[in-house]
Amino acid sequence: MFRHEISVLWKRFKIFMDQFMMSRLGVFGLAILTVFISLSIFAPYLSSYSIKASEGNIHEVLKPPSNRHIFGTDELGRDVFTLIIHGGRISLLVGFLATIISGGLGALIGSIAGYFGSWLDDILMRITDLFLVIPGLPLMIVLSALLGRSIWNIIFVIGILSWTGTARVIRSQVMSIKEKPFIESVKAAGAGDLWVLRKHILPNVLPLIAAQMTLQVGGAILSESALSFLGLGDPTHVSWGMILHYAFSCGALSSGCWWYILPPGICIALVVLAFSFIGYAMDQIVNPRIRRR
Amino acid sequence: MGFRSFVFRRSIESLITIFIVITLNFYLFRIMPGDPVSIMFNPSISPEAKEIMLKEMGLDKPLLDQYVIYLRNLLRGNLGYSFLLHEPVFKAILERLPNTILLMLSSNIIAIFLGVVLGALAAWKRGSVTDVSSIILSLSLYSMPMFWLGGMMILVFSVQFHLFPIFGIVTPGVEYSSFWDYAWDVLRHLTLPMISLGVGTFGGLFLIMRNTMLDALTEDYTLTAKAIGLKNRTIIFKNVMRNAMLPLITIVSLRLGFMVAGSILTETVFSWPGVGLLIYSSVLAHDYQLLQGAFLIITILVVLANFIADIIYGVADPRIRF
Repeated sequence: MFRHEISVLWKRFKIFMDQFMMSRLGVFGLAILTVFISLSIFAPYLSSYSIKASEGNIHEVLKPPSNRHIFGTDELGRDVFTLIIHGGRISLLVGFLATIISGGLGALIGSIAGYFGSWLDDILMRITDLFLVIPGLPLMIVLSALLGRSIWNIIFVIGILSWTGTARVIRSQVMSIKEKPFIESVKAAGAGDLWVLRKHILPNVLPLIAAQMTLQVGGAILSESALSFLGLGDPTHVSWGMILHYAFSCGALSSGCWWYILPPGICIALVVLAFSFIGYAMDQIVNPRIRRR
Repeated sequence: MGFRSFVFRRSIESLITIFIVITLNFYLFRIMPGDPVSIMFNPSISPEAKEIMLKEMGLDKPLLDQYVIYLRNLLRGNLGYSFLLHEPVFKAILERLPNTILLMLSSNIIAIFLGVVLGALAAWKRGSVTDVSSIILSLSLYSMPMFWLGGMMILVFSVQFHLFPIFGIVTPGVEYSSFWDYAWDVLRHLTLPMISLGVGTFGGLFLIMRNTMLDALTEDYTLTAKAIGLKNRTIIFKNVMRNAMLPLITIVSLRLGFMVAGSILTETVFSWPGVGLLIYSSVLAHDYQLLQGAFLIITILVVLANFIADIIYGVADPRIRF
């Protein structure tokens, strides 16, 4: 039943991938991301050390890189490389899940505002403006402090506070599609609003939503690292932000333990950069405003 | 629409926003799971002090009454009492606000300078090595966690080379012989946080500046200027830059939220005694009255700064008023 739709989607995807592979930045980003995702998936097989706080080697505390520990050890005698590859799992997970929430919210609010217009648009855009003006991180701090330190709360908080950008982009795109003649003819043929939204508007904005979401994953990972650094992270999970939190709080900075602080920051920067590159390349292909230039 | 009614409309809008923020700030700290008494107060507080505060905030009354009491206290400048600092929240914030403003203003100047100069240069030499490398540089800096960048600077310049102090705003226990001695000490402490916040936030500014410059470079007036034989430098600074400056006002106001986030993190890394560090310590100590007050003041200041930027924009570009 869906065979036709799937083959259309597949064809579109192939055309998209052909264009994407032409973008050097996009391919570069994809390569970095592939490396990090593989490291995260195979983390348990890549290292025999444990990340449990109780299983660190107390005879090897804050030791610089050596043959046995290529990134050295932390203040509990744990292997930093092992922490990094396990931390990638949590950081990427938070990035993806928070983005699913924020992307979904942004797409929903943006398309409702753009399609129905009038007072609904006014109210939704007022709310969007309000969220744009309230500084994001302080509100995230307040919410996470009140909700308590858990990985799910962090995902929730980042998700529900990062949708404004997507909502605005999707809204303007839906507004311009809505005015096109084919929508008018579908409506004249008797299609209802929901049908038009689902069958004609959504397929046209979906690529744009995907590009927007890709651009946002990096932001979500940065937000997670900031919240964890400020002591609002989940103490039962190791993310890159949490590693930095532990490094800063154990005084690795003033004792010059660069091997403990350098890797998590570089990993965050590389992954965020990779998502920006991929999102940028996607945006170049699917965003009609940029394409026209 | 005249300028006056534009200002009037924008002030009403800003006031409404501030009112919503105040309401949000009140309810956020009340609707959270757990009873408000234990959320708002340190468990170690003495029963008598707790009793006094309960009365003052009306926590035994219905929510709507509490809200009215909260608004009334707010109008009197009473944001509650911080058990962490043993002083009124409002006073604690006011004392530290100048430090935050000093850090934000100075780093903003660095960010704007870097963004404008590099953006103009990159746009003028589009596709060159300068262009590509400054794009990569700004994107990389943008991708780093801001607190990590600060930490790396401490590691290199303070721990390794002992060039700058690691934390604080003045050297503890030093007697200054003159004001200039004092200013010099503050400047030495300010250098690293200022540079790290400025460098960490200039990326977005650079990209937008480069784009507006690219647009301005293809405008007719630039072509005319070239045709009548003006020098490149004259064209850039007199024609292109001036027109590209306009969006800069909006960008600076849009960046405010970003700057606030950056300054909370930077202040925490460098123990810079501003409102951001206050937020960090209040989270650490579960001092929610302090957190609530600091969040409120910061948000209101951002709304006000946005309002001012809008007015300036209205003066600079009369089209916006219509």
